Amino acid sequence: MSKEDKMAKRLPGYGTIDIPEDRVVPFGAVTPAPVGTQKLFQTSNWRVVRPVKDDEKCTRCLQCYLACPDACWTYKEETDSLEWVGDFCKGCQVCIQACSVDGALVAAPELDFEGGVVRLEKPF
Amino acid sequence: MAKVHEITVWARGVLQDKEGRDVINIFAKAAQMEGKYAQAFDNYEDLPDRVLVTVRKYVRLSDEEITHKYVYTNDKPEVVVICEATIVKGIDVLRGMEPGGTLIINTNRSIDFMLKLLPNANLLATIATVDADAITGVRTVDFSGSEGGVDATGIGKGIAAPIVGAIAKVTGLIKKESLAKVVSDVSGMERGFNEVKIKHLKPAAAELVGAAAGSKHSK
Repeated sequence: MSKEDKMAKRLPGYGTIDIPEDRVVPFGAVTPAPVGTQKLFQTSNWRVVRPVKDDEKCTRCLQCYLACPDACWTYKEETDSLEWVGDFCKGCQVCIQACSVDGALVAAPELDFEGGVVRLEKPF
Repeated sequence: MAKVHEITVWARGVLQDKEGRDVINIFAKAAQMEGKYAQAFDNYEDLPDRVLVTVRKYVRLSDEEITHKYVYTNDKPEVVVICEATIVKGIDVLRGMEPGGTLIINTNRSIDFMLKLLPNANLLATIATVDADAITGVRTVDFSGSEGGVDATGIGKGIAAPIVGAIAKVTGLIKKESLAKVVSDVSGMERGFNEVKIKHLKPAAAELVGAAAGSKHSK
């Protein structure tokens, strides 16, 4: 047992949370970030408009990537392009507000596109 | 027991919440003025109070007293009203409808365009569109300076007025005159009544509808 683990055991409340054995990690451990997207709570049907990017005008400043509250913009280094994750975009248009180039990101009505929205039986 | 007409209204959370609620309240109030029995429910089940989330509102009309008062959701809606057209793309709005139902959408797009978005359109006997956004526009609540909203618009000043006019014309469940006593924006309601576009369809047989719903609808 490391010195940090011994110190942690002396903290008030140590061991009061019941964690499954396979998920116990040492004190101060660095765990990998989740890779991929969850499928249980898709919010694409909140969307009335969707952001549409113009690759020629886009300067890859990544302001949209920073601004998006749902991490719906991902930057692909191999192709030097931004990809949009439609399953979780709520159409809040924060990325369009944050975009530094005129006309690089515009809002387009969702009904103009085929598909792209996950059709759910219930609101959620 | 007399037939209970069930109407379900779909709207977008917060932005159109009040408009959707106005539709059911106007409808129930006007029906009671005509001597019918009515129930109107805002929803509890999936009202998340978040912007753009879909919310439902329910009305029931009957000539006799409605005995089921504890279950407020409409399991078999006869009429479905959509306050914002994109909801058709994201939700199975006709769930539970029996063949021969009615769908009314607030949109400026054509009826044929909207039909393409509905995988189970064969349930419908009537589909109608009314461009309520152009007639009155959404006049819902004022969000300045308060956590909730300040509502000084009265019942039926926004898109609710043309939508109730359209429902009255399409379904014939209620008279325009009794709506006019309740709605604040009577001219908007009249325009909705006159400008609604209606298309009658031939609903498929019940067993065919069931088969199609089973194969096409999965989450």
